[in-house]
Amino acid sequence: MITVALAQKRINESLVGFPPRVTEAYLAFAEHGDVASLDIVVLGVLHFYLAKKTSEPLDTLPGTTRLVEDLGCDSLTMMDTVFMAESLLDIKIDDSQLARLSTLDELLGYIRTQVKNRATTAA
Amino acid sequence: MTAPRVVVSGLGFVTSIGNSQAAVTESLRTLRSGIESYEFMPGANLPIKVVGTLKEFDTTSLQWAGWKWPEGYKFSREVLRGMAPHGLYALCASEQLIADARLTAADLTADDTGLFCASAGSPRLIRHFLNQIHESRGERIPPMGVVSTIAGTLNFNLAAHFGIRGAVAGFVSACASTTQAIGYACDEIRLGRLRRVLVVGGEDLNMESVYSFHGMRALSRNPDPTRASRPFDRDRDGFVGTGGAAALVIELAESARARGAPIYAELLGWGQAADGYNVANSDPDGRGLSMAMRRALADAKVAPGEIDYVNAHATSTPVGDASEAKALHATFTAVGAHPAVSSTKALTGHGLSFSGAMETAFCAVSIAQGFIPGTANLENPDPVCAGLNLPRTTLPIAPRTVLKDSSGFGGCNVCLVLRRWEP
Repeated sequence: MITVALAQKRINESLVGFPPRVTEAYLAFAEHGDVASLDIVVLGVLHFYLAKKTSEPLDTLPGTTRLVEDLGCDSLTMMDTVFMAESLLDIKIDDSQLARLSTLDELLGYIRTQVKNRATTAA
Repeated sequence: MTAPRVVVSGLGFVTSIGNSQAAVTESLRTLRSGIESYEFMPGANLPIKVVGTLKEFDTTSLQWAGWKWPEGYKFSREVLRGMAPHGLYALCASEQLIADARLTAADLTADDTGLFCASAGSPRLIRHFLNQIHESRGERIPPMGVVSTIAGTLNFNLAAHFGIRGAVAGFVSACASTTQAIGYACDEIRLGRLRRVLVVGGEDLNMESVYSFHGMRALSRNPDPTRASRPFDRDRDGFVGTGGAAALVIELAESARARGAPIYAELLGWGQAADGYNVANSDPDGRGLSMAMRRALADAKVAPGEIDYVNAHATSTPVGDASEAKALHATFTAVGAHPAVSSTKALTGHGLSFSGAMETAFCAVSIAQGFIPGTANLENPDPVCAGLNLPRTTLPIAPRTVLKDSSGFGGCNVCLVLRRWEP
């Protein structure tokens, strides 16, 4: 369970330098658990660690955008993104599954599933 | 065949007495101190009250995205994400260095350009990252945790950032590290293996990096920033810590001249010797340091009487300064030589592994600008210093030949000999 208070603590400690759009979405996700906010957080984290930034937020790009070929994700970018996503969302991302994710849609879909499974397990 | 001549052809500074060569020169000339009151742990009444502070930087955040640095530097997240606070300082000093030495991107990535670095790593970030691993029961390991924290973090990051291909090495000889790095850089160039070496040292400035030395009672408990660091004084009671970074280009003279780089000084030679005595304390008789001085003079083919100025290691600890005074007596006084001796740590505080690079760069400034900085805060010289020439104010004398000495834990002693560039 990610409470709003816990989310605020994590924003202060871990999301230093992240744009308000991402931190506000994280607070909204903590309060409502909605998928739209979750997607903004995940894509905001990925964008933060990209070596070459896209001019537009990632959630405005097509879901078919490829992580490596189109966004230039290297292994360190993915590791940073995974570490932050796991830390913020209390999920575990499996290395073998991660290697199979090639587009934004696949990344978001996998993390939604992990978050849902976490919620189910917790319940 | 003429022996290759090695020179200092670029400088960069992030220090308590200035973040540029101009500011540092002015501070050295006017003996302007960089030491201020400081709270290692806000709210805790700790016995150590002062450090050599860094101005225009804020690295208190555990996240690099929260750091602040002086205007004019532009660093991407890609560069900073694997760095500790002193990596940021070193990056700024290196940017100054590259501009000062007129090095191009092609020069940096040439097969005969090397990079030698030193730092103690980042105890503060190590603690933070290891806590994350423990608190998550091993589930969460920060990806950049290792490369941003361990000793070597400077070489890892700067080598990748600048595309260094000649050689990359790290030195971990505590407070003699960067002096030793300069010595080995000199050898690599004289042996024809490298054309130039960037020598960069840096240290964090926080409780974890500095206050830890209070465990062995090495830090001054004097709360007065204007009197706490007082090398060679009878009433000294320990060193004052500082952080920051310093950078030099050590280069083949003909290469520096061909590029039109400023030549601050020639590096005539170096020497080192060990105490074989104690893990932390210097040999009280200064035997290892005196041998290092004699070896440096021999390598440089310079007689003791030719040395005009010694920039001493003198950190303001009771044992260390006395040991160094005896080494100076044995090397100089005993043969009738009386060079001016001063410790600029009275102004800066002790920069640990980067102090050697910082003070060698000070020597280069002293030679190039034509003055000898005195030892600030020296009121009553320790009787063991009797016979040493210890100016307390800046001398308007242009030193021709200078000796820089450094000592570190484990009895590591290293000396360099520099001379005004005379083509």
